[in-house]
Amino acid sequence: MTERLHEALDRVTRVRGVRGVLLVGLDDGLVVADAVMEGVRANAVAALAASLVQRLARATATSGIGQPGFLHLEAERGALLTLAVRERLMLVTVAEPGVNVGLVRLELLRAGAEVR
Amino acid sequence: MADDIRSLTANLAHDPDSLAFLQLGEALRSAGRLDAAVRVVQTGLERHRGNADAHDLHARILVDAGNIAAAADAWGRALALAPRHVGALKGLAFLAFQEGDIDTALDRLETALSEDPSDPSVVQALQAVREEGARLEAEIRLRAGADIFAGFEGADHGLLLLNERGLVLGGALRDPADDDVAEEVAGYVAGAAREATRAARLLELGDWRSLVVEAADGHLHVSLPTPDTVLLVKRERAVPPGRVGLLARRAATAARVWVEAQR
Amino acid sequence: MSRTRVVEPWLAGPLEHFVSESGARLTLILTPAGQVLAQHGFTRAVDVMSAAALASGIAASTGELARLLEGGAFRALSHESQRHGVFLSRFASPRGPLLALVVYGYESSIGLVQLFFEELVTDLAAAAPAAPPRAPVLAADFERELNESLATLFR
Repeated sequence: MTERLHEALDRVTRVRGVRGVLLVGLDDGLVVADAVMEGVRANAVAALAASLVQRLARATATSGIGQPGFLHLEAERGALLTLAVRERLMLVTVAEPGVNVGLVRLELLRAGAEVR
Repeated sequence: MADDIRSLTANLAHDPDSLAFLQLGEALRSAGRLDAAVRVVQTGLERHRGNADAHDLHARILVDAGNIAAAADAWGRALALAPRHVGALKGLAFLAFQEGDIDTALDRLETALSEDPSDPSVVQALQAVREEGARLEAEIRLRAGADIFAGFEGADHGLLLLNERGLVLGGALRDPADDDVAEEVAGYVAGAAREATRAARLLELGDWRSLVVEAADGHLHVSLPTPDTVLLVKRERAVPPGRVGLLARRAATAARVWVEAQR
Repeated sequence: MSRTRVVEPWLAGPLEHFVSESGARLTLILTPAGQVLAQHGFTRAVDVMSAAALASGIAASTGELARLLEGGAFRALSHESQRHGVFLSRFASPRGPLLALVVYGYESSIGLVQLFFEELVTDLAAAAPAAPPRAPVLAADFERELNESLATLFR
């Protein structure tokens, strides 16, 4: 899995505005694999993104719409995007504001296929 | 600026039949020399009566001079010559908005946007007018004693306003079995909103604007209409995320009006 | 009411910040010898004493294991059960080496605990006053200090 996964992660980072992509354990918030630019704190991204998804998972489950698949946090100076790729694993991307969310989503789905 | 005006004046003097008067008129308008700008444009219009850009410029100078009725006529002439002239559409939308005619302003701006989807000033104006429209609607509903989200699509099952501590302020949330899940979900969503704030702060992303979650059977859209309230919109998976975003923006405006009225 | 208790005041701010950010349920800061300097979340002295003794023992035994394996000291240990996670780490401070024992539940994760533990270590280093002169520790002194510490921690 490793080499193909890293190639897939690299493809995500080639989308303009993407500052990094990580494969993260949903329960432990730890980095499994990553391709991030200098200055991106991979451990912080992983821990915080996992915590956010965990909290939202309770809201989606109670609302009766199932588990979160794709998440997009849009902020003033950037965005955080996550995609559930396999049981208890997720891909996380940190991006500049105005990034093409559709394209990132597509590349995350492709990268996710390498994890399965 | 003075050099520009001198050079543009020289260009026009060199070729009085050219369209150089448009640039000169614009430069004079920007410099606040409105009388001179009007004279230049009126002279130009004598030679180029069928030029919609000239009428648009004339109208903008008239607006700056405070002559709104004459500006409306000038934009009307521009539109008669070029029915999809973006400048004239924006101008007339602005006048309609000033008069409180939100629908006409929206019509004009939407036509302008369809002509030039990349014009950021049209996009911004459209957003501001929609926001104002939603605010006015919310005020009318509030005066009539209606609920925060009365009249909104899905108000009885998928729109919820809560405070930052997770207590429900208004709206309703039901699961697919039609059970009321508002209070329980409000607690979780308030926690998620706090977590989003912390993540955005620690990852140096600044203030967050929206949190969109696509789940297996639906979407959640979370935003902060005011610093101490959280808005949740829930929709079925079939509803496009863009539409959920539009609805969330309108609902956020209604929520702001409601919160303001409670203070 | 704060559930954080400290023997020395400079520990309070960093510990409270750590607990609030990491969502830890229980936290102990102690010396490698097992003397507790600060705690959050424990309600009974006997639990603090047991946890401190066990943490100190585990740190000592894994340290010895690392020495036997010649692989350098273990930085941290982490265990997870269905309901709780436990994180034990040795760290340097201006007051000498210390241990932290953190117990967290489903509302947190090892990722969050590790993330904010890094901050805790930095904050403690910044907050620590100059070390007092060290006197030889006698068994009687240790017993008295321990009792005083526990009294302070459950004041």
